Amino acid sequence: MNGSNKRAGDALVWLLLLTMPYWLHWVGGYTSLGTQVVVLALAAMSLNFLLGFTGVLSFGHAAFFGLGAYGVGMTIKYLVASTPLGMLVGVLVGTLAAGVIGALIVKLRGVYFAMVTIAFGQVFYFIAYRWNSVTGGDDGLAGWRRVPLHFGAHVIDILHNDRVFYYLVLICFAVSVAIMAALLRSPFGRTLLAIRENERRARFLGIPVDRHIWLSFVISCFFVSLAGTLYALLNNFADPHDLHWEQSGNFVIMAVLGGMRSFWGPLIGAAIFVLLQDYISSMTDNWQFFIGLFFVLVVLYFPRGVLGMIRRKAAQ
Amino acid sequence: MSLLRVESVSRRFGSLIAVNGVSMVVEPGELRAVIGPNGAGKTTFFNLISGFFPPSSGRILFEEHDITALTPDRRVTLGMARTFQITEIFPELTVRENLRIPVEVAAGHRLRPWLSRAAGGEVIARVGELLDMGALTDKADRLVGELSHGDQRATEIMMSLALKPRLLLLDEPTAGMGDQETYDITRLIRRLHREQKLTIVLIEHDMRVVFHLADRIMVLAEGAVLAEGTPSEIGVNERVQAAYLGKAA
Amino acid sequence: MTQLILFNVFNGLIIGAFYALMALGLSLILNLTGVINFAHGGFLAIGAYLAYALIPYIGFWGALAVAPLLTAVIGLAVERFLIRRVYGRDPLYSLLLTFGLAFIFEDGTRYIWGPQTLPFSVPSWLNRPLSSDFFFLTGYRLFMVLLVLVAVIALFVILNRTRLGMRIRAGTTDLETVSVLGVNVRLLRNLNFGLGIYLAGLAGVLAAGMLGLQPTIGSSLIMPSFVAIIVGGLGSLPGTLLGGLLIGVASGVVTVYFPSASEAVIYVMMGLVLLIRPRGLLGEEGRVQ
Repeated sequence: MNGSNKRAGDALVWLLLLTMPYWLHWVGGYTSLGTQVVVLALAAMSLNFLLGFTGVLSFGHAAFFGLGAYGVGMTIKYLVASTPLGMLVGVLVGTLAAGVIGALIVKLRGVYFAMVTIAFGQVFYFIAYRWNSVTGGDDGLAGWRRVPLHFGAHVIDILHNDRVFYYLVLICFAVSVAIMAALLRSPFGRTLLAIRENERRARFLGIPVDRHIWLSFVISCFFVSLAGTLYALLNNFADPHDLHWEQSGNFVIMAVLGGMRSFWGPLIGAAIFVLLQDYISSMTDNWQFFIGLFFVLVVLYFPRGVLGMIRRKAAQ
Repeated sequence: MSLLRVESVSRRFGSLIAVNGVSMVVEPGELRAVIGPNGAGKTTFFNLISGFFPPSSGRILFEEHDITALTPDRRVTLGMARTFQITEIFPELTVRENLRIPVEVAAGHRLRPWLSRAAGGEVIARVGELLDMGALTDKADRLVGELSHGDQRATEIMMSLALKPRLLLLDEPTAGMGDQETYDITRLIRRLHREQKLTIVLIEHDMRVVFHLADRIMVLAEGAVLAEGTPSEIGVNERVQAAYLGKAA
Repeated sequence: MTQLILFNVFNGLIIGAFYALMALGLSLILNLTGVINFAHGGFLAIGAYLAYALIPYIGFWGALAVAPLLTAVIGLAVERFLIRRVYGRDPLYSLLLTFGLAFIFEDGTRYIWGPQTLPFSVPSWLNRPLSSDFFFLTGYRLFMVLLVLVAVIALFVILNRTRLGMRIRAGTTDLETVSVLGVNVRLLRNLNFGLGIYLAGLAGVLAAGMLGLQPTIGSSLIMPSFVAIIVGGLGSLPGTLLGGLLIGVASGVVTVYFPSASEAVIYVMMGLVLLIRPRGLLGEEGRVQ
């Protein structure tokens, strides 16, 4: 994709995102569905920072997503009824956990790394599930809601106004995405690409591979926990199933479906996935079966994803 | 001060002794060749020097610093670079991108999340120099994975050069190449040695290349040093000839 | 008090033997092909449900003999038509594929047999305690341990004394060389997978007898198998066996003192192993990279 095509593509994406609340119901959607897409797109893009751009197979991102969700929920419910503070706590907890866990597992590679990330993901699921006096157990953390933002006399009602909340989410998304894009374009970002392309060569070019993988892991989990806080705020609810390996698998499939090697791929993947899941679960109780089938079909027939395929066609 | 001093290193894999008490001293500015029949332990020897794995015994000193326990990336930082028998490059990036990465690492930009315009300009200029030196300018924006074997190897060598090493280890740089490509690579290596005043140690099987380039030759056989000397000395060494010609599997 | 501890240790050993059985199948597949069979729990469930369906016709023993075989056949088909297609690719794809299969199996069993817990009839003479002193030594539990023991021994015999087993072991070390030596690698991978799934199916039948039969039986057991492999050592079957037993016993012992933490201890052990010895207790060097 040459420069001007890319810029046009970027502009189109932002245009669609900025105006989403206005055109979404024309295609049968509703604002909070759009918000859901943006939040999950952020999660998938954060995962892809690690998966698609550093080449690291992490299947446990739901853990940090969930930590963000429970972090904001528990803060608002038990500590201070403040949305920004809740978000801060959620992101901090998720990122700290990522720092610790990342350090433990950074020497592993490939499928073994994946296995361990899945296992750690389940640790947090298990905690959320069992510690039901605090977390609400299987029922999830309810009884709290997002708190409107007060700036002196001015109030931004993100609680009752879906559209306003959407734009808050979009701002978070935009800032996150801009930072990730800048990082990927930087010398540091290029070392991550190097690690993805040929780890041995990266090491023998003087790149301390383990350290850079750890950094990529922490950065990726920082943004995914942010997405987690937004998701909980969207639903006014934190669900233990957001921590389950199923959710981790969903993030990965979004990235793959949209195209792992491209920046906006996961956004497209998230949109398709959310819409698909919404549609299927309205038609049948056995939506899990169809999601599973979807995974299988994407792997077998669509591994490069939407943008990957477009890129291929363009190159021919 | 010698540049590289290898003191009686050995490396075993289970009961197999791949490298057995090999010592080597390389002075700055030398071009040393390491030759020997297949299975002599040459690449394992390189792996020890470059830090791919630690020796079972022995020491390695680089500019009189003991680097025996250092990881490969640390050795690169100290001034050592290497190429591999099977070319290790970034296949799905362009030549330009391949070169940019080591240039940035050498300039200390490894962890930089952002590069100033001035610094970025320097990087681009340096990449341009390297492209020129390796005769790769017209292929700069092609994916390295699509290039010919010779061009890939040239890219790898230039990537190593981008690190501003004081010691360059080349593992069979002309492996799998036809006459023309061999000639081009040999010329490149000679230029690097002369113009950049680079100390080079290379493993080679092609004797024309060895005798053309080397100041001194070290012969390895069955993991140990068989002989060492100037090309003319090695050329008439009967034990060396026997090792190459008379060696049973 | 002693009896309580003994009870829990024994219980833990049984659970551990059970985790080991499942983890061995998973490990077998992982070591030869590098595929994390996330659907392993699904196969376990299939084994359990097939047994449930067969018991009215051929009784418990018949089902015990047949259901794992049927499950293995399904496994052979899945390998042949699905998993085989992703071998050469990035491990990401095989993991996604087996993820998808796990969903399909779980929801499939839920669709066919319903979400409720089904009664799984085990021959009543098996359920009687063998001794009044050791009331926890029910015949069924002892039987389970014995069966797992037999299965593990059989597995090690297969791996060490048969041609198939030798090829599997050689292939685990170096698949390319094995293929160059004329072994049909496709068939080898296929049979290896089938063997692993047989163990899952067997574990399923046993699990149903002990834990009760519901669609989530597979997914609730897969994580301990993962941890067993991580703890015991990547690439090592004896390690996997050891890992399974260890986490089972640890879990059993902890239950005495902190009942709600029995699951957590599994993950704590995993964390410890990663901290102290990332490649696992009996893991091979180089497997981790």
